[in-house]
Amino acid sequence: MGSLANGYWKQGGVAASLVLVAGMSTAADAPTGARPDVHAFVLSNIWFASPGEPANALPLNDGGVEIFYKSLSPEEQAKYATSDKRQALEQEMARRLGFKIAAPGRSKTPAGIVPGAMLTPEQALEIGALNGFPKGRGKPTYQNRTAAYTSCTNPEDFPALAEGFRTYDGPVAMGMNLDGKVTREDFVGPNGEKGVDNQLWRAFGRVKVFRESGNEAIAKKSFMSMGAPTIVEISDVDDMRNDPQVTVKVYASSDAVTRDPRGQALQRVSYTIIPDRQLQSTTTGSIRDGVLMTEPVDLRLQYKEQIVDAPREIRAARIRAEIREDGTIEGELMGYYSLASIWDLIEQMTQAGANSNQISCPGLRRALDEVADGYMDPKTKKYTAISAAMKFVGVRAFAVMPEQRTAELGS
Amino acid sequence: MKLKSRLVAGSGLLLSAVLAMTAVVGFDRATAREPEADAPSNVRRLTEAQYRSTIADVFGPDIKVVGRFEPDLRVEGLLAVGTTAVSITPAGLEHYDAIAHGIAAQVTDANHREKLVGCAPNAQDVDGAQCAKSFFARVGPRLYRRALAPAEIRALASAAVSSAKLVGTFDGGLSTVLAGMMTSPEFLFRIDAPGKGGAQVDGYSKASRLSYFLWNTAPDEALLKAAANGALDTPEGLAKEVDRMMASPRLTDGVRAFFADFLRLDDMATLTKDTLLYPAFSPAVAEAAREQTLRTIVDHVVTRDGDYRDLFTSRRFAMTKALGPIYDIPVSKSGWYIHEFPENDPRSGLLTQASLLALHSHPGRTSPTLRGVGTLEILLCQKTPPPPPDVNFSVVQDVNNPTLKTTRERLQAHLTNEQCATCHRATDPIGLALEQFDGAGTFRTTERGDRIDVSGKFERQDFNGAAELGKILRQSPRVSSCLVSSVWRYANGRDPGPADAADVEAMKRRFTDDGYRVTALMRTIALDPEFYAYSRPQPSPEPKRQASQDKKGRNS
Repeated sequence: MGSLANGYWKQGGVAASLVLVAGMSTAADAPTGARPDVHAFVLSNIWFASPGEPANALPLNDGGVEIFYKSLSPEEQAKYATSDKRQALEQEMARRLGFKIAAPGRSKTPAGIVPGAMLTPEQALEIGALNGFPKGRGKPTYQNRTAAYTSCTNPEDFPALAEGFRTYDGPVAMGMNLDGKVTREDFVGPNGEKGVDNQLWRAFGRVKVFRESGNEAIAKKSFMSMGAPTIVEISDVDDMRNDPQVTVKVYASSDAVTRDPRGQALQRVSYTIIPDRQLQSTTTGSIRDGVLMTEPVDLRLQYKEQIVDAPREIRAARIRAEIREDGTIEGELMGYYSLASIWDLIEQMTQAGANSNQISCPGLRRALDEVADGYMDPKTKKYTAISAAMKFVGVRAFAVMPEQRTAELGS
Repeated sequence: MKLKSRLVAGSGLLLSAVLAMTAVVGFDRATAREPEADAPSNVRRLTEAQYRSTIADVFGPDIKVVGRFEPDLRVEGLLAVGTTAVSITPAGLEHYDAIAHGIAAQVTDANHREKLVGCAPNAQDVDGAQCAKSFFARVGPRLYRRALAPAEIRALASAAVSSAKLVGTFDGGLSTVLAGMMTSPEFLFRIDAPGKGGAQVDGYSKASRLSYFLWNTAPDEALLKAAANGALDTPEGLAKEVDRMMASPRLTDGVRAFFADFLRLDDMATLTKDTLLYPAFSPAVAEAAREQTLRTIVDHVVTRDGDYRDLFTSRRFAMTKALGPIYDIPVSKSGWYIHEFPENDPRSGLLTQASLLALHSHPGRTSPTLRGVGTLEILLCQKTPPPPPDVNFSVVQDVNNPTLKTTRERLQAHLTNEQCATCHRATDPIGLALEQFDGAGTFRTTERGDRIDVSGKFERQDFNGAAELGKILRQSPRVSSCLVSSVWRYANGRDPGPADAADVEAMKRRFTDDGYRVTALMRTIALDPEFYAYSRPQPSPEPKRQASQDKKGRNS
């Protein structure tokens, strides 16, 4: 019997009789507390897990703008030295490095492309060809409605901005030993676990925005992908403290996370899951002393935040999470993050996002390619995924299937 | 132009309206006969809901009614009874004036005038007098709920034309006079006129009583026609109209209005909770909880034509997504639907709905006493006296008491005062049966780690928990008797006097015979000749009316 469930279920076998009755009666809907063998949680934030060291423990990498600034002569640097000249500096960088942006309708637009419509990569190239992009360069960006050629769409073209980019070389990182091996490139976990595979943190660990968003105190109060949250549903549960065999489903919802008046995620809210099977995964797991551990499964998690719409593709993902009596869940999501999907995320932040978040896209791209360690493409002999660990927090919720709208009750 | 418009109104209809209201005897129709002290009241102020529904009926639902209304007064538990005891203050009249001008401006604006006014000055009607006449001939009877004499229509049209000259536009003049009509006592009050012989009200007054009782709005054109041609003065004609109204979907509005008043659900609009203790509760949830109760009732007593008493045991709850966190259930549907809790579930009956549970609790804790008093007063029509002035509530309020962890324990400690104990012995067992629902209505089994005991005794029967209490209430004759009295009082806007006793008792028997069906009860009242009495001398003075005590003041 689930200890997380309302205490009501613990009393005198009432739960069992309820389940029985609920199953027999066609008229009855869900009982108070819902099915006692199913426990779902909505995740209010998923973030790249930082090992929790002080922010100044390791120097941070410069972003593209900072690298460009340092490349200027002292006279030019003086011209852009103050913060109010930051925008002018970014414009100058774009001008000198040849960044291009072309929005259909406001720039030369090939026939057949409707302004505001989502662009394919091929269409972005067509637009680029009409608007002075280097040949064969440029990609869709800004929610795929604009074609751009920048250091983020084509990082390989701007090697100067990758200079000085350093990977994280601290000894500790979050995560787990995914490959069962202990090698030199592995980290040690905060609890001393050896062989921790988290090469993503090796690439991200000196990037300001990831270091800051990985700060646990901040992350737990933040909402990411609030408009398209991830739901974790644990079913076939006999005992929420210890159960050797449970089923774990991961869904995406189309409902925004409901917050309570304190600004925290409200518990026991129903979230309608998106029927797209690509956004649903099922695996098995076990619960031991209130900690869930799942078997590896390929996940595709919806991730929508402001202008970003970049589903996270994580292969051989495992969830390790503590399920608490107060209806909260906190844990880690570990596996091999596909390079394509993680670069999709970086790209969609756009050059403007990279500038404001102190990211050097060329540096980061090079680092990711260098330290990637999973799923080698047999043809190219290059890795296509990178070991990663993310943390998440969530609260108890209900995952509900989309249903046809019911007739309104009279009045 | 706006100021001018107000001045015109002030110098014309509005001024007369103010004067008429200040001196209540100034009502043309009400002065036909001076009401006797113990007679049924023949003047009732429209409630806010009635005002809104009347405007929506006459001008359409897209006309916004914006502004503050004079607060309705609850007398002896019902706002409907309070409507006969309230007037309009000068400040309140200003609010009504502002609301009326807002409505009139919309009726005559570019978006609505073609549909709602339908004409304009032209070569044959240069000053628009004919247009104004046709407009007032159409809307006047709906607003005043009676036929308008040709002279009245001419006077209104003439005022509109005069106003138009002052404000500079025909529509401005029309709007000014229309606002004046809606600030008139003839609109704001339901003023009954005597019929032939004076024992009953006239046909139009019957139409109003009937319509506001069954539909909570002004009479429609068919009902006004029945009033005009005398059909409502014959049993057959009245029955035909009552049957038509009972068969209309608008009966739902009337049923909702009664139960909102009866259960005091208007208080949900101002209900607040400690958000740290009850994070799932919000004004939106409070509104949804109110709506849930009304929809549940409508589903049971109108759609299913069910036994009123079954509301105390029914597991069918109207549900919507916003209430899922309070009820701790998954909700997959996007609109309202009927959720049926399974057998043995803690949710059973009206008493376990979030609206009543939250309403009769404190902002930060439950109150078995408030819940008990609420149940006794509302559902059983049993008065509970206010607490003595010198009571020390500190024990009950100390929710962090290290030894008295549960509310039951703290209440028992409080009952050392015998003066308090007498009432608490009546109220608290009911409230303690509901203690498994917190102050926001969410189910729980423990309080600060201790198991909550929900056993007790009511009407000499043992129970354990809300569901069993609901079964006892369902069987209690006092519950059905209270409902009949309350519907009667709601319909008549007053308490029954000694001369009404036999009538009310007969209705109680009829209610039982009709299978405790609320709609049948409403039909019985709508067909009852006493419902249309203009004046009914009572053998003894009318029972003293007293505005409801603020139940929150009772504490515990």
